[in-house]
Amino acid sequence: MATPTPKAVLERAHVACSIRFLRQGLPRSAIDNDQARPVLFAAIPDICSHLISLVIAFYCLATLDLLGGVSDAISENEQADWRTWLWEQQKTGPWGTGFRGSPYTNQPSPSKYDPPFLIMTYAAILSLAILRDPLDKLDRAGILKYLHLSQREDGSFKLYPSSEEYDLRMTYCAFAICAMLDDWSAIDLDKAAYEGGYGQEPHNEAHGGLSPDLRHRHPRSSFPVIIPRIVPRPSKRRERRQVPTSVCSRPSSERRRCVGYCITRGAGLQDVRIKNQMHVIASGAILGHGDLVNTSANADFLLKCQFKFGGIRKDPESSPDPYHTYLGLASLTILSREEMNLSAFETLDASLNTTFTTRKWLRDHLWSNTSS
Amino acid sequence: MSEQPASDPPPPLLYSMREEWKDVQPLDQSDLTNPLVPIFYPPEYKDAMDYFRGIVAKGEKSQRVLELTEHIIRMNPAHYTVWQYRYDTLLELEAPLDKELALMDELALTNMKFYQVWHHRKLLLLKYAQPAAELSFISKVLAVDSKNYHTWAYRQWLLAHFDQEDLWSLELPSVELLLQEDVRNNSAWHHRFFVVFDSGVREGDEDREQVLRREINFTKQKIAIAPNNLSAWNYLRGILDRVEVKYATLKDFVVPYTTPREERPVVEEEVLDLDNPRPSSSASLPCALAIEFLADICLEEGDTTKAAELFTSLAEEHDTMRKRYWDYRVKECLGTQSTRT
Repeated sequence: MATPTPKAVLERAHVACSIRFLRQGLPRSAIDNDQARPVLFAAIPDICSHLISLVIAFYCLATLDLLGGVSDAISENEQADWRTWLWEQQKTGPWGTGFRGSPYTNQPSPSKYDPPFLIMTYAAILSLAILRDPLDKLDRAGILKYLHLSQREDGSFKLYPSSEEYDLRMTYCAFAICAMLDDWSAIDLDKAAYEGGYGQEPHNEAHGGLSPDLRHRHPRSSFPVIIPRIVPRPSKRRERRQVPTSVCSRPSSERRRCVGYCITRGAGLQDVRIKNQMHVIASGAILGHGDLVNTSANADFLLKCQFKFGGIRKDPESSPDPYHTYLGLASLTILSREEMNLSAFETLDASLNTTFTTRKWLRDHLWSNTSS
Repeated sequence: MSEQPASDPPPPLLYSMREEWKDVQPLDQSDLTNPLVPIFYPPEYKDAMDYFRGIVAKGEKSQRVLELTEHIIRMNPAHYTVWQYRYDTLLELEAPLDKELALMDELALTNMKFYQVWHHRKLLLLKYAQPAAELSFISKVLAVDSKNYHTWAYRQWLLAHFDQEDLWSLELPSVELLLQEDVRNNSAWHHRFFVVFDSGVREGDEDREQVLRREINFTKQKIAIAPNNLSAWNYLRGILDRVEVKYATLKDFVVPYTTPREERPVVEEEVLDLDNPRPSSSASLPCALAIEFLADICLEEGDTTKAAELFTSLAEEHDTMRKRYWDYRVKECLGTQSTRT
């Protein structure tokens, strides 16, 4: 290929780009060419697409966290403002407590139409930890109630307690929040776990993406599917302190099947997109086999997607955005530390989707509260 | 404020300028002075959202709410709350749901990647239980994007929820059509698995032995056309795992796909062996997926040496992109071997 691609990660440009997003938001509405009509912020993919400040903020903060931490890049005053904004999104109502994505529905009193969201709650707790907030304002009991009310009969989780929408994104976030709080008491693990077999029975409504049969699932579900499968079941008495990072005691053949799926058969089905790459890599890493991926081919592609003024694009033709910037860098730090000379970067805990330093912060500030 | 000259196409009139919305108190988003990721909404969107917040605060559910929510959805199809409020308004007004579905037909085609479009449709179908027309709608969407994940998930929900024999009966022919167009359409393969193995037993499919033979033969034929088709091999493995039949039962079929073309002696009868169709003349051989399958057969039979040899050939020659994974499989084979001896 004749197209020149930068050979190194443009670390400083990515930091500057993330700070720009955090301070100034996203570029004004883009035109979606496919549909020949203006779509607000069409460059924002998937779960960012709701114009949700909090999710975009999470990806930008997580990028800064990977590239050496927020404190080097942002003044303490500004960080304090951001923490205040994040806490402002914590809302309590009949549904318990959680975080909104922004004040976009802003009702004068708690309303069914102004609910906190499970995904936002996950992103908010991580964002606060990245900003090194002491997390003492977190309403643990309220969040546990919220998780409890969000779980459905079949074990899956709803977008928010009064919603009827459910899919694996929410299951992942619910598990991750429990892991961060080190408290699994609010959810029914037997229902939510793989062995519960949702999606397996005939005519089961949960079939829309919750079946654990990886081989036949669309590859993009492989990342969240794996989480409920491998998070260690906390036994009632012992091992309360186990962190869900390593592969637990699944039968090895089952694990190999997952690894095989992720790395060969699943990966081959995917479009060439950073999101898909990250899912495969994270799945491989979580299963303890990130090393089986072709790291140089991965790095080559990611560098092609790097934008020279900062940010990473979903493919070499698109514009950069916070989501792909974070996923691309995260994937590089998992796979290509040595060959890309990324030793200054933080290491990522793929199962919780945050750096080990931030994970430690969560443990020090959230776990200690429970021991009382 | 002056009127727009009649010659120009008027821009959408802001709600704040409309007489018929005067009774609504618009509610600002009122963010903090120093917000994180401020979003600079275009005036048209901000104005509509201010009035939406005002409507929600007073709990109004009326015809104009349907207009307002449609307006916002067209600007931001991912707005959960607006969708939810629209749905509740439709129910409260007992609005004609067929009309709403017709609007959704249009919105689904332009916004098929948004979760909310499909979720809303699902809620409508729960109230307006007429699933028959949905399959032709789904076909229209799949004609635009045959692998759209939301569309397939919706299709599976629809079939399972209504569980009507006349819906199910069209599924296999429809899948076959899609696979004829694109034999590598993994969504269609997955759907076939869902219909045949994952959603109960259809009328006429009670003889499971016969169904298994039919599915294996179907897959073999598709592999013969295009051997390097991941989806077909995944399907084959999937059904064998599901019915717990050994991979080794397909050894005769698999072997010819694992060797380079010129090594195979040309035998006339080959063409007539319908159970074991040979690779098409244009297929590129050997096929890495077949080699992997054969290696798994060897492992089933306890021949770890042969399996390791096959994995090595993948690592070194036939699938070097995934060398690390195949090396890992080789190591695994050799590990098993050494513990045995």
